[in-house]
Amino acid sequence: MTDVVKRGTTMRRRERLQGAGMDLALPYLLLAPAVLIVLAVLVYPLWDGLRASLMFYRYGKPLDFVGLDNYIQLWTDPQFLNSLWVTVRFVFFSVALETILGLALALFCLREFYGIRILRTILIIPMVITPVVVAIVFRLIYASDAGMLTAFSEAMGGGQVQILGDPLKAFTGLVVLDVWEWTPLMFLILLAGLQSLPQEPFEAARVDGAGPWRTFVDHTLPMLRPVLAIAIVLRTIDAFGTFDQVFVLTRGGPGEATRLLPILGYEMAFKFQQTGYAAALFVTIGLIILAFALFAVRMLKRAGPDT
Amino acid sequence: MSGVRYEGIEKRFEAFTALHALNLDIPDRTFLALLGPSGCGKTTALRILAGLETPTAGKVIIGDRDVTRLQPRDRDVAMVFQSYALYPHMTIADNIGYPLRIRNVDAATRAKKIAEVAQALEIDPLLDRHPRQLSGGQRQRVALARAIVRDPAAFLMDEPLSNLDARLRLSMRGEIKRLCHRLGATTIYVTHDQAEALTMADLVAVMRQGELQQLAPPADVYERPANRFVALFVGNPPMNVLRAEVSEQGIHVAGATVPIDGARHQRCLASAITELGIRPEDIRLAAPGSPGALSGEVYVVEPMGNETLVDVRFGDERVTLRAAKGFTAAIGSTLGVAFDAADACFFDSSGSTKVHRARNGEAG
Repeated sequence: MTDVVKRGTTMRRRERLQGAGMDLALPYLLLAPAVLIVLAVLVYPLWDGLRASLMFYRYGKPLDFVGLDNYIQLWTDPQFLNSLWVTVRFVFFSVALETILGLALALFCLREFYGIRILRTILIIPMVITPVVVAIVFRLIYASDAGMLTAFSEAMGGGQVQILGDPLKAFTGLVVLDVWEWTPLMFLILLAGLQSLPQEPFEAARVDGAGPWRTFVDHTLPMLRPVLAIAIVLRTIDAFGTFDQVFVLTRGGPGEATRLLPILGYEMAFKFQQTGYAAALFVTIGLIILAFALFAVRMLKRAGPDT
Repeated sequence: MSGVRYEGIEKRFEAFTALHALNLDIPDRTFLALLGPSGCGKTTALRILAGLETPTAGKVIIGDRDVTRLQPRDRDVAMVFQSYALYPHMTIADNIGYPLRIRNVDAATRAKKIAEVAQALEIDPLLDRHPRQLSGGQRQRVALARAIVRDPAAFLMDEPLSNLDARLRLSMRGEIKRLCHRLGATTIYVTHDQAEALTMADLVAVMRQGELQQLAPPADVYERPANRFVALFVGNPPMNVLRAEVSEQGIHVAGATVPIDGARHQRCLASAITELGIRPEDIRLAAPGSPGALSGEVYVVEPMGNETLVDVRFGDERVTLRAAKGFTAAIGSTLGVAFDAADACFFDSSGSTKVHRARNGEAG
């Protein structure tokens, strides 16, 4: 009896709400908080950055609208061009080494043997350590006076090892750090990719006469291609934004040897207070990454029908 | 081509023994069917021959080479997998030509061979496609083409028809038989389908729980099963097995006494018979109460079109018999059936066949 009454009132209320157009408005009302948050923390800063990149600043105050002047100036700025070149080299060497090492480790860990689970777990530890902590550890390793490398060298009868003082060695040291930290990510993605491949074609290849190397080249690589491509794209995008490790390890030095684009942008914005110029630089980095990602996605799509 | 021999092959997976000392001798140019229910070790036996599994003990001989410790690529066998195992990233032509490419056959010869086998298997219009653009039956043909494109010592087939629908399976059955006949190839064919084994093979090896039950030509496996398991596994509907007792008067079965000829009677008396087996086509309808007839109750009548299967119940036992098409009887009505003891085989309490049927065409 009471049930019937209750159902009657809810029905009536629903009808009333529908009458007020509630049915149409409700989805938007429910979405509103999320949309507002996204607008506040994502869209507004992006918009503000874009706007700033078109202004001329002095002492952190916008003075004048200058159109695309900041962008044009970038491409004649030797500092920017140097940083772009350093970044491209850094991304290329890091991602290439991480891919090769990650794939090798994944292939190795694909087989089952005693202790493999523990090994897999150990291998992904570097990835879960905070980048700043990793950089501090590497600074201690590289330190010329009290560092581990120097200690090693002296124990072997050598002298002090200067890593962070030499442009090439510092750059190499930075790549080594990045490889140490991010190979595990490659390893993890590629291991998952390898594990998801069907087993029968590999058995068929063995019976058909393929040895391990031919199997790898003819079957593993082509079948793994989509996963490999996604892993490389993700890591490349991420590597373009590398900041904290460099900031802690070298601050971009010695000279400009390790000054990646994000470091340069940071210095422009906060050290030299060239807010508009820095904004233009970051928008440019964003566009470069976007162009790369679009290109990679198109390559993937082209590879799609075959795989 | 060469013969294949298993010598005391044993395979254990930790506590589980998949194969107990398997001995099989497959002559050159023979089509052998490895038949058995799932989990009987037939696929394991095939994978050991291919080199995809290593036996725990025993030897595998192909031709006159001991290949037990050799890699699959050094064994010179070709295999068709149940899931076809095509290379998804290669075109059909590349799939078929792969075994040749591995052997560094030059491109022109390769193209010629690919075209040949593709034509033989009627897949030549598909050569530029990729496996996932093909239907199951087409993939099956590609897998076959990849196996026959070179000239291996033996063909191994692991339930190649089980993923096809019933009609396609029937037509491919005939095609594979023709193909193997034409190639004159030693073929080891794993299947759980007794009809495939009987229709295609020169020799059938029936397996159960890792042990070989019988190795014989299909007609013998059907007419002279080595034991109760083979009798029930081969044939559709399967052989009827009834409790039986032997006395001086004859065979007592389902409340009737069936006469039996002297020599076989003596053998039955001598070997503690507990059951008899009789094929459905060897049972005929008879007037209830006529001498030697079993009187029972109709359990179900199943018209098959070309014939009618009739199940008759005697107490807690049941037999199936083949009647002419158009036969009808009400469920529950009384029906008399009879058979000739010469057509029956007799099992002892361990299930092994002690007395075979008296006549099966030529064999005694």
